[in-house]
Amino acid sequence: MFTYSLNRLLQLVVTTLGVVTLVFFTLRLIPGDAASAMAGDTLSGEALDRLREQMGLNKPIWVQYIEYLQNLITLNFGETITTGLSIGGLLSKAIPITLAIAVATIVLTIIISIPLGTLAAYLAHKGHKTLDNIITGGAMLVDLMPSFWTALVFLLLFSLTLGLFPASGTVSLDDPAAFLHRIALPVLVLSVTQIATMARITRTAVLEILSEDYIRTARSMGWSELRVLFRHALKNAALPIVTVVGLSFGSLLNGTIIVEFIFTIPGLGSLLVNGINSRDYQLVQTLIVFYALFFVSVNFFTDLVYKRLDPRVQF
Amino acid sequence: MKTTRRTFLTGLAATGAAPLISFPAKAQEKTLRVRFYDDLAGFDPATIFRVENENIAFNIFSGLTTYDSKTGKILPDLAESWETKDNITWIFKLRRGVQWQKGFGEFTAADVVYSYNRILDPATASPYRNEFTDVKSVQAPDDYTVVITLNSPDGNFLHQVANYHQGQIVNKKAIEAAGKQVRWQPVGTGPFYLDTVDVTSRIVLKRHETYFRGPAPISTIIFQIIKDEATGTIALRRGEVDLVMRSNREENIEILRKEGFLMNATDDYASAHKVFNLSVKTLSDVRVRRAIAHALDFDTIIKATSPILQNATYTLLMPWMDGYTKDIPRYPFNPGLAKKLLAEAGYPRGLSFKNLSTSAQGVTEFQQFEIDYLSQVGIKMEMELVDTPTFNQRRNRGDFEVTTRLLPAVNPDTILFSFLDPANISPKGLNGARYDNPVAIETLRAAKAEIDPAKRKALYAKVQQIAMTDLPYLPQYANGVIWPSKKNVTGVQPNNLAQVNFFEVDIK
Repeated sequence: MFTYSLNRLLQLVVTTLGVVTLVFFTLRLIPGDAASAMAGDTLSGEALDRLREQMGLNKPIWVQYIEYLQNLITLNFGETITTGLSIGGLLSKAIPITLAIAVATIVLTIIISIPLGTLAAYLAHKGHKTLDNIITGGAMLVDLMPSFWTALVFLLLFSLTLGLFPASGTVSLDDPAAFLHRIALPVLVLSVTQIATMARITRTAVLEILSEDYIRTARSMGWSELRVLFRHALKNAALPIVTVVGLSFGSLLNGTIIVEFIFTIPGLGSLLVNGINSRDYQLVQTLIVFYALFFVSVNFFTDLVYKRLDPRVQF
Repeated sequence: MKTTRRTFLTGLAATGAAPLISFPAKAQEKTLRVRFYDDLAGFDPATIFRVENENIAFNIFSGLTTYDSKTGKILPDLAESWETKDNITWIFKLRRGVQWQKGFGEFTAADVVYSYNRILDPATASPYRNEFTDVKSVQAPDDYTVVITLNSPDGNFLHQVANYHQGQIVNKKAIEAAGKQVRWQPVGTGPFYLDTVDVTSRIVLKRHETYFRGPAPISTIIFQIIKDEATGTIALRRGEVDLVMRSNREENIEILRKEGFLMNATDDYASAHKVFNLSVKTLSDVRVRRAIAHALDFDTIIKATSPILQNATYTLLMPWMDGYTKDIPRYPFNPGLAKKLLAEAGYPRGLSFKNLSTSAQGVTEFQQFEIDYLSQVGIKMEMELVDTPTFNQRRNRGDFEVTTRLLPAVNPDTILFSFLDPANISPKGLNGARYDNPVAIETLRAAKAEIDPAKRKALYAKVQQIAMTDLPYLPQYANGVIWPSKKNVTGVQPNNLAQVNFFEVDIK
């Protein structure tokens, strides 16, 4: 286990370095840079060159790469090119907000999707096709809805028509109640898609287990259906579900980008959109490295949970 | 103001001595919440960019002159009056007792000298340095007088010292104290000071209590960053904000209009022009450019695509600008004449050109109509879509066959010199057409230098007539600006730079 963990940690470092390099060069392959994004409509070509020089964008690309790696190793994220503000400072404000949204979404998703998926599997197993089809079909339909569209529909319904949640406003962790109220709608939007995906996976996994011999044995021992379902079937179906939860974190980070934009949440997604729009290499690179680190870390921990759930898993 | 040739022109105009608006005797505590959509990039006048960042700076700083929000007329700001007899030496008499925000003391002529020299200093790397390249010297003979000497006469110089970009006056001590954070620690003499800023969520401006025109009616302005316009519209309908900064989508504007929100607007803020690259063989023939003009029916296109926010336009300058004339050659919709011109130019079977545009917008409805209209006379408009920074880069370098440019400006010289002066041929400047007509530029220089208003007007008219005859740029449409607000919000008047003077805004 220890050797495995060490190996995975090394892989994590190599993967991250790969991502850093790829992102660095890919960003610079895209035509246009921070200076041309800043220049906008009205700066002449010559004025643009002066701006580029001032922003340090005329240095050779390999010099920029080495400087970037040096800064990254020393955790000096530097300043954004367009605002001159400390990237570390911006991240420290944005990370808790995005993480709070992601964690709240995952928790809500697990609470709703796993019982729902298990129920659908049970209904299918018992031959209640209509109810199963309603749950499964509904989940597929929701799964297909793009999050920007869901976000706008939820805004119109829950914010404008019902007046339950704000559409805009300050997002501050200083007031937890106001914070939760403010992020409730984005969390709902993100959860809807996640619930649909996870309920379908849970249904498939549990349905497969329900046909196993040991489930029949459990039933023959006179245990209640609930105990059979949740203690035996669900527990043994946990591996694919855990995998999906791990992967969901990745797709959730994607989802937050759109949802944060629409609900004006100042999280990592908003920072990334701003950075991309203004070709702020420094900011985008740091954010993508953070996203990559986060993603491989979640995968790493998912693997560790596997071993815990099923001692037969060999590394 | 006297207008004879040899006498002084003085800015001690009727408007100069009077306050712009009356303000309440006792300032009340009122908070205005505004939807802000732009990316924040800072408020240092030397390096500021993006129109809404500029709107914040417009309310923090002052210039020697400013603009009447409604008419666009030049008004005194930090300068109480001014005079010149040759459009070369400009003498500004400054207001006394003007206080800097945040306790930086009293404003004097030395601040003007510092501010302008800072723009001119190559180390500042200000993109607005070119606006002052004609400035020979800036001197302060006493604390309340500034003398600016130019290299050549400029009848529009009052625009260059207005409350915008290079014209905004900064405080030396505040600039030095802010160091690298200068763009986030602006200190001006305007009606509001920057209280707090969070680049991802909001900007808070507070009333400058000792503002020289008196305290503003609003005590706090919270600019809430809401990027998505649909969300911004919902926020206004829900009462989360009082005012939406610049609504750009007709469907949102229509919803708000029907629900009785105020449509605070200015028409004809800036016009968009089709830019023909004259180094392209087909486009170098004026008959081809005229054929394109005759083939397009902008009136109809705009009625179909953007009837609220746009108007068709036929001139290089906006009607409210100094020197504007409507007495210019026009190219009414006439497909038959377009075909005839093409045949005369040697293209009886038509031709094609590439139109550079942004992928962010895709092929807009407007462009779809253009493609269709042009195809009816045998012209194929091929769309070349690239991402926005690439678009800006290529357009500014002149790397296109045909493109569109909308250049917001108050000073007519900004538009005319940018577009028509061969010294500004891309990539050096914005003359993307590569237009080079010695008569046009000589006439333009003469117009800029002329003191006599009637002669000046005639010369500017001649420049526009020449340009519209040669047609290196084809006017397409003029954009309007709309800031929807609640009914109880008064005084929101976007000016000709699409900026709102919040000193004039109140909540009833």
